[in-house]
Amino acid sequence: MTIRPYVTSFVLQWKIGLRYRLAVLAGLVAQMWFGAISLMAYAAVYHHAPDVNAPMTLRQAMTYTWIQQSFFTLLPLGCLPAIGEAAKSGAIVYDLLRPVDLWNWWLSASLARLLGNAVPRAILLAVVAGPLAALVGLNGWSLAPPASFEAALLAVVSFVLGAFISASIVMWWNIIAARTLSPLGTYAVGTPLAVLLSGMLLPLPLYPDWARELLLLQPFAGISDIPIRLYMGMPIPGGILAALGIQCFWLLALTVIGRFWMNRTVSRMEVQGA
Amino acid sequence: MNAFTLYRRMAGASIKAQLRYPGTFALQLVGNFVTTLLSFFGIWSLFHRFGSIAGWDIGAVAVLYGLVNVSFSVAETLGRGFDVFGSEYVKTGSFDRLLLRPRSTLVLLLGHELRLRSIGRFLQGAFVLGAGFWLSPHVSWNTVWLLPWAVMGGAVMFLGILIGQAALCFITVEGLEVVNVLTYGGVEAGQYPLTMFARWLRRFLTWALPLSAVCYYPALAMLNHPDPLGMPVWFGLLSPAMGFVFLALMVLWWRRGVAGYVSSGS
Repeated sequence: MTIRPYVTSFVLQWKIGLRYRLAVLAGLVAQMWFGAISLMAYAAVYHHAPDVNAPMTLRQAMTYTWIQQSFFTLLPLGCLPAIGEAAKSGAIVYDLLRPVDLWNWWLSASLARLLGNAVPRAILLAVVAGPLAALVGLNGWSLAPPASFEAALLAVVSFVLGAFISASIVMWWNIIAARTLSPLGTYAVGTPLAVLLSGMLLPLPLYPDWARELLLLQPFAGISDIPIRLYMGMPIPGGILAALGIQCFWLLALTVIGRFWMNRTVSRMEVQGA
Repeated sequence: MNAFTLYRRMAGASIKAQLRYPGTFALQLVGNFVTTLLSFFGIWSLFHRFGSIAGWDIGAVAVLYGLVNVSFSVAETLGRGFDVFGSEYVKTGSFDRLLLRPRSTLVLLLGHELRLRSIGRFLQGAFVLGAGFWLSPHVSWNTVWLLPWAVMGGAVMFLGILIGQAALCFITVEGLEVVNVLTYGGVEAGQYPLTMFARWLRRFLTWALPLSAVCYYPALAMLNHPDPLGMPVWFGLLSPAMGFVFLALMVLWWRRGVAGYVSSGS
């Protein structure tokens, strides 16, 4: 088995993501705006109820929000647009005819698309929300540095796992798009699910207590919530190993079941037109 | 045929087209309802943990949330043509064809699509709004006429944003996602009480983009809630008019854009 075609597929989508520099800037402005609104909301809420024993401090909630905003495009909001379009037009047969492993082929494209979108934005936003904000005196509102060197290393490992989990969930959306012959359904279902369950809408630790452990155990928590907790050195029930364990478990489960499901879908697929 | 009859026909055709795929339509409707309901779950969780949002009870915040979502859903239903204007009209050059027709471009673009799936957001917003009134102790009689007035003001303001965003495409050709800051970002900002924002943002949201004028101040008047920032109550009775002013300004800007339009070729 050679790895080259998958690398090519990755590089192609990666370059497409970097192509639109203006879109990166526009996204930055949007992310800063949404971040600022959330931050002011949290600040008002925390300051008004100083004696509530919240599971995370205001400073942590702010850092959490900034990192979530920077990795917004890393979330599995829907299927890979190219695959959705191919499913609609029937051009998907070209992918089926390629002498490559279809799962890896699509996975490398999905991963590259997520990273190509997310990495430039994340770096820019981290610079603006971190050191730059601190320089202009907005220290209390800025992105805090990692809890320790160890925490930073762990977070990097965890973020890589998170990116793979996200790409695997995108693979599930791809399969749904191939089944329903339209990308629209995956966006309708994927976006709200991803935004709520990843902690983008509200940090997962702030949800009511009965929901917190359940929220930690679902696959979307592995994308950014767990890496952010490691970054800030927040205690996780079961410790660091449990956190990475949850991520590995979901990556494995999504891949094994997803592959099985994809093979069934492909073997029964009827392509019209093309 | 006058503009209104024409619009009615275009809207009728659009509705029929959307109902052609009942399965997809139902899914999108449900998706829309659930998405927006989930976002209220986020706010509710904050209340659950902290008891209040900066001293505002959940009834007042539910009213704000419902008001801004209902207004936006109306604008979303009507203004789909402006939303996709950059990619579907300017970039492809098909705006040239609209210009050849002896009708206002605004009417033709309003007729692009009457988007039914926003009903999901509307229903959900109306539901939360109703719950908010039910939970609030001092709902005033003014509400009866103020509510439709505020929703109208809000809907035309959001429509104004969509038109302004479309007019921007004359310059940028491709639509930019950054304008979502004003539409979706506006909804996000409008659902929180104005008092919790920094002063520069409060000014922006009142005098540049009159979001609080169509949402926050009328809601205060409806709930008999004094404004912590000291704005008199009568302001909330009149302020939805600012939404219409905003729309008028955007229409003027649109006219300028159309006058200077150079086709990208087709």
